[in-house]
Order: sequence, then structure tokens, then C-alpha cells
Amino acid sequence: MIKILAACGAGINSSFQIKTGIEEEMKNRGLQVEVDAVVIKDITQEMMSKYDIFAPITKPKFSFKIEIPMVEAGPILYRIPAMSAPVFDELEKIIKGLQK
Amino acid sequence: MNTIIEVANKIFAPLINLGAPAMMFIVLTLFAVLMRVKLSKAIQGGLMLAIALTGMGAIIDILTGSFAPALQDFVKSTGIELAITDVGWAPLATITWGSAFTLYFLFIMVVINIVMLMINKTDTLDVDIFNIWHVSIIGLIVMYYSNNLLLATLLVSFLGVLKFINADLMKPTFNDLLETPKSNPTTTTHLNFLLNPVIMVFDKLFDKFLPIIDKYDFDAATLNEKIGFWGSKFAIGIYLGAFIGILGQQAPQAIFTLAFIGGVSLELFSLIGKWFIAAVEPLSQGITNFMSKRLQGRTFNIGIDWPFLASRAEMWAAANVIAPIMLVMALFLPGNGILPLGGIIAIGLTPALLVVTRGKILRMIIIGTLMVPIFLWSGTAIAPFVTNTAKSVGAFPTTLSSDVMITHSTLEGPVEKFLAISVGKMGENFTVQTVLTTVGIFAAYTLLFIWYARQMKKRNKKYEEDEEAAEALENL
Repeated sequence: MIKILAACGAGINSSFQIKTGIEEEMKNRGLQVEVDAVVIKDITQEMMSKYDIFAPITKPKFSFKIEIPMVEAGPILYRIPAMSAPVFDELEKIIKGLQK
Repeated sequence: MNTIIEVANKIFAPLINLGAPAMMFIVLTLFAVLMRVKLSKAIQGGLMLAIALTGMGAIIDILTGSFAPALQDFVKSTGIELAITDVGWAPLATITWGSAFTLYFLFIMVVINIVMLMINKTDTLDVDIFNIWHVSIIGLIVMYYSNNLLLATLLVSFLGVLKFINADLMKPTFNDLLETPKSNPTTTTHLNFLLNPVIMVFDKLFDKFLPIIDKYDFDAATLNEKIGFWGSKFAIGIYLGAFIGILGQQAPQAIFTLAFIGGVSLELFSLIGKWFIAAVEPLSQGITNFMSKRLQGRTFNIGIDWPFLASRAEMWAAANVIAPIMLVMALFLPGNGILPLGGIIAIGLTPALLVVTRGKILRMIIIGTLMVPIFLWSGTAIAPFVTNTAKSVGAFPTTLSSDVMITHSTLEGPVEKFLAISVGKMGENFTVQTVLTTVGIFAAYTLLFIWYARQMKKRNKKYEEDEEAAEALENL
């Protein structure tokens, strides 16, 4: 099971939409993922190390280096399939790479 | 108008009598089906809304049940009149989504958005359906005072137009703050940014008299990391519960109980807040599909909820620093009735500070501190409305004495709440005085917005010039 960390500025609305968006679309594509949604400010290096992919709303700045693949997931929030497709494609590519 | 309302009341009375959760389950499900959402998804959303309403009621019950008596003791032993419980944003969202009028105001906003896009008065398509509750609560305040749906609709429409214009005005600043290319369509129509004009007045004063202050800006990300879990929701609930218990001279056992109930309430409010967003999710997608189908061929920016600004750590750093300042201010501010709790981390304020000052952290903190009284007064002013409405949707324990009140200390749009109260009082009683007061307030509000829009256009022109200069340099 691939674990994805979704994140936004409040940890309530936007990251939740990213989470449901990824879970639904990856299911449609036949991929099993588990997504957690958190506030960016609560992310620590230790927390991030427990995930395979990082999917923040926009690229944040941390004092530590992000060691896992990152996909900026903001476009999922536009709710327009043509705009969110590139994000999902990239995620699919990374997930398939990780599963090898 | 009156006959329409009477007929509507007759039709809807049996529905309303089922109680808010059942009524909103039915209404939201039907509305979603109308927006072509799949039936099972529509029902899922409707049921989520019903359990969110019910759950929120249960927690408000737990929180006010133990805090209200302690706050009374606090008032007695300190002599400070702060008896209103601050429940934060989630219960207020619940109460608002517990009213069928919210769907009506949502409909009005969708129409305004489509019309403005078609006549090129805005470039923003708003897909942030959940946050309609922020304008809806303004409409509901007007209704609370006057029962005048026309006035409520007019005010909501007016603020809606400003929100869309503001989303366009802020777009280049978002590109700058987030270092995104121009092609990125992200913007937001969130109500909290209607405070920008007021913040800008102070920001300009800094430009003129104290620009040197920016030299002392510190790194916000480092501060946030140092604060760590001490600034998280449950920790804050625990401090404030203990604070009230100690100053209210409660027994040690009661102090611990208050602390832990504070902690659990703040965590659960936010958890149930998520149910809510899940409840509105199918409807949001349905409305977006509906709107984008009607706007084929038109390019636009997309308005989403504000947390995309989170890659800027200043927003949280400022909120963390302002929190203890707010607590102290609340104790001494004349006319304030709130002891900050659920809303003490002012994320209804700091995103607007970030946009206007463009991340200058000291300006954010100082101007933010100056804004705190507006929020506290506004939160105090709407407390009777919030409490009453919470009771009517069954989200408030009726067993408590009638002078126990709840509110949100840092609710977005504090100035607009005063507009709503003024309009509502005018609708309740049309006298020369109420009409003149309302007209005066509106004139001032509109003029300030126009001034702000000019400043933002200047700022945006500068962005364009800088970009052209950079391109010219590249072409050399």
C-alpha cells in the first residue's frame, strides 16, 4: 500500500479535497493508496519519513530536505478534470515506479 | 413579497418541524440531485450534513455545559465581564449550513458569478462552495434583525460583487507570494480578504513613517518549528480551560476537567468540521460542472479556499504571536464580552495580513494586533444572533440559562458583520436615523474599497512593469 501525505494551510478543507480526489482517481485507475490530510505547519521530518509521496497544495519551505517524491496537488482543487489530470498522471507514474 | 413568504412557510413548516438535521438532509440531497449529482452521492452528502449538525450540537453541549458555569465564576472572582464562550469557526459553519437560506444565498452567488464572468466584470470562477457560509451568515444576521429577505439579498449580492473583484485584484500578489507562473489560475474569493482595505491603511502608514521596521523581520518557519505542538489545537484548549479554572477559583479537580474538556472540544470541533466539508463535497462538484459547462471557451482564474497560502510560514507565525496578545487584550478591552478560546489562533485574520504586507512579518503582527479589537467587538455584537440561531437549529443546549451565549472571536468579515447589523436594524425600523446611519456606513465602506482597489491596481501595474523589464533583460 502506497502512503501519501496531503497537506494544506489549515488541514481542514483543501487537504481533505486533495485526499478524496487522489483516493477516488487512483481507485479508478486500479491503484491502492492511503492518503492522510494534515496542516503544513505540523509536518516534521519524522512524520514525512512514514510516507511514500508528499502531495502539498503548493510547494512549502521546510528547514529539512524533502526526501520523498513530491507532487504539487493544488490543481485538484479546481474541480475541472482537464486541469487535475496532469497531477493524477504524475502520481500514477510515481506510484508505479515505487511498486516495481 | 409577504404572501410569497407565507406560502413558503406553509409548504416548509412540516419540513422545518422535523428539526434542522433532518430538514437539511432532505434539502441538501434534493439540491444536489437538482445539480445532477448521482443519487447515492447526493444522499451521502445529505446524511453527512445531518450527522455533522447533530455531532456539533453534542460537543457544544459538552463545552458550554462545563465552561458556562466556570465563566460565571470567573466573572465573579475577577470582576471581568467575559461570559461569552468562544467556540471557533466550526460550530458557526454548522449553524449556518443548518439553515436552508444558505442554499438560497449560494444560488444567488452562483448567478452573480456567472453574470459577472459573462459581462467581463470578473475573471474568477468560484468553486469554493463550502465557504458560502461566510456570506450566508451575513444574510442571516440581516434576517435575524429584520426578517427582510430583500435587504439580506441586496447586502449579500453587494459583498459578493466585491469578493469577485477582490479575487482579481489579489491574483498577481498570489503569483508573487507563491512564486507561481502567470498561467497558474489559483486565486480566492474568501470573505476574510475584504479586510484588506482596512489593513492597507495601516500598511501605507508604515510605508510612510516607519519603513525601517522591515529590517528586523525574522524567519517565520523557524519560529513555527520552535512552537511545535505547544501551538496545536488540543494544547490551546488545555491552557485556556486551565486559565479559566484557575482565575475562576475552581477546585483542582474542576480545573483539570475544564482543561481536558477544552482540549477535546477544540479537536472535535475541527474533526466534525471535516464532516461538513465532506457533506458539501458532492454539491461543490455538481455546481462546478454546472458552471464550467455554461462557460465553455471563457478562460478564467479559479477561486478556491485560502489555504494555498500555507507555503508562506508567516501566516501561522503571526497567528501564534497574536494569540497571547489577544488573550490579554480581551481581558481589558472595553465593550468586549468574549474570553478567547476556539478562535484564538486567528486564521481568519492572518491570510489578509499576508496578502497586504506581502509577508512582512513584523507589520503583520503589529497591524494584526490593531485589528484584534474589531474582531472581538464584532464577535461580541453577533453573540445573541449566534446563540439564538444555534438554538433554533438544535445545536445548543436549551437547559442552560438564557444569558449563556456562544460566538466566534475571530470570525472572518468582522466589519461586514457591523454592516449586516446596521442593515438589519434599518429593516426592523425604518427611521431617518437608521437609514442615515446605514447610508453613511456604506458610503465609508465603499469609498475605502475604491481607494484600496486603486492601490492594488498600482501594485499590479508595477508587477507587470517588472515582468516586462525582466523579459527585456532576458532578450538582450
